[in-house]
Amino acid sequence: MENTRNSFYLAMRSGLAAVNPLRTMVLRGVQRPGILVEENESAVAIEIPDVFVLRWTELSIDEQHPLPLAQQVCEFHYWTEGTFTNGGLDRGRLLAAMDAELVQLLLAHDALKQNFAVTPPAPMATSLFWTTGVFGPIVVDKNRLRRVGRVTVFDYEEAADL
Amino acid sequence: MSTAAVVNAIASTGPVIRRVRAYFAPVNRSTETPTIFDASLAAGFQPKMPPSPWLDLGWISAFERRSETKIVGVAAGSPSIANYQVRQTSGATVSFAFEEWTKLTMALAGGSEHMNVLVPSAGSAANGSGGVSGAAQGIVLGGATAASPTTVPMATADLAHYAAGNLVAVDVDYLGQVGYVGSGVNAAYVPSASSVNSDPDYVRRVTFNVARVQQVTAQALMLAQPLVAGSPVAGMKVQPVLGFVDREGGTFLQEWSALFAMSGEQGDAVFFHYPRLQSMEGAAEASSVLVKPLVRSSLAAAFRALPVVDGVDGKTVFCFRTYVPAPFATV
Repeated sequence: MENTRNSFYLAMRSGLAAVNPLRTMVLRGVQRPGILVEENESAVAIEIPDVFVLRWTELSIDEQHPLPLAQQVCEFHYWTEGTFTNGGLDRGRLLAAMDAELVQLLLAHDALKQNFAVTPPAPMATSLFWTTGVFGPIVVDKNRLRRVGRVTVFDYEEAADL
Repeated sequence: MSTAAVVNAIASTGPVIRRVRAYFAPVNRSTETPTIFDASLAAGFQPKMPPSPWLDLGWISAFERRSETKIVGVAAGSPSIANYQVRQTSGATVSFAFEEWTKLTMALAGGSEHMNVLVPSAGSAANGSGGVSGAAQGIVLGGATAASPTTVPMATADLAHYAAGNLVAVDVDYLGQVGYVGSGVNAAYVPSASSVNSDPDYVRRVTFNVARVQQVTAQALMLAQPLVAGSPVAGMKVQPVLGFVDREGGTFLQEWSALFAMSGEQGDAVFFHYPRLQSMEGAAEASSVLVKPLVRSSLAAAFRALPVVDGVDGKTVFCFRTYVPAPFATV
């Protein structure tokens, strides 16, 4: 499952760099695309605005296949309070822009799975694939607008995954 | 003092089954000789390592057996009274869905001739099951590299046509023979050379002797799976395959010896052996939704059992059901 999570994140990260190269953040002193995996970072109280935070939640395995089929849910948490120069009045527009970017990221629908247990990561024999994104309602949190998008990611478990 | 082993027997429970696995063995169509699964092999059966010549077809779903046997009472007198019973008809059918899409499962489920899509020659006319193919390459026997079910020795120059990951068909040229063709498994019936345009590649077009190339060495193709016909023999040639195609229609009915294994959760097991199964439907798919809009497709299949004679008592039968009880269960 870990190879799938890492492969999915890299697909999303490289996709975001292409869709909107200006959506970046500085994390641990390094500038990079504005997308991170919550479980891979330090637990911090500060939420970073205008970036996508990936959170893996549900997991199930279907054994009725030649290879076990894993099914994982990935949530995209994101929020914005608009820009300071516009007094936050553009927060709706900025959230819509992030919605559109996430839709574009998920349109790829599949990615080659890589084995991250070796250096450099090696291509595996199967691909992961995912559903169309499902978007939750906008949550108004004082001057912040929040949304969570959900996608179900599938992959066949190869020997190197288990 | 010696202590004799004591078995604490438990009551026999019905098998609790998680899923069903299917196995294939060929039928010699010329002599209508099936491959028989000896019931004694049921004990100690390893689902992922079936005894030769059985080939693993993977998990199947929606497995359903139906008896077509009708037993009727024979009545006499007034008022009529059933005095005894007779079997009016005997037969059986079985249906399920193959979860794996392979050459074997597609062909068995498809119900007709099943074609390998050979790489076409340049400029060949378009054809639904593939056009005229490019030249085949011969195998080299007796060289430094011995042939095996996963090793196809070839000349270095011929090996240049292949790369790891290719699919290949390995079989003899069609030389005008009539009857069943295909090495290892009778793949099609040729009534006359003209019916297949005397195509020298026809046997390789229908053969079940196909595999994925794992590696190309300086002397041989190394295959990722054994050929169903075993080690390549003299006269066989190799051609690259792009995929598979079946058709609605045709005249051929695939026939195979089938074994279905159900492993119980208590160490018990149930086996259904149909020595002769013939497809009774055309190609179709069964679908199940993973999460919308993703749909998983499997191969829907239905078969009619044909009879064999049990050598023990000469009875004509269609299916054998073998039950291996759970350890320590009373019987």
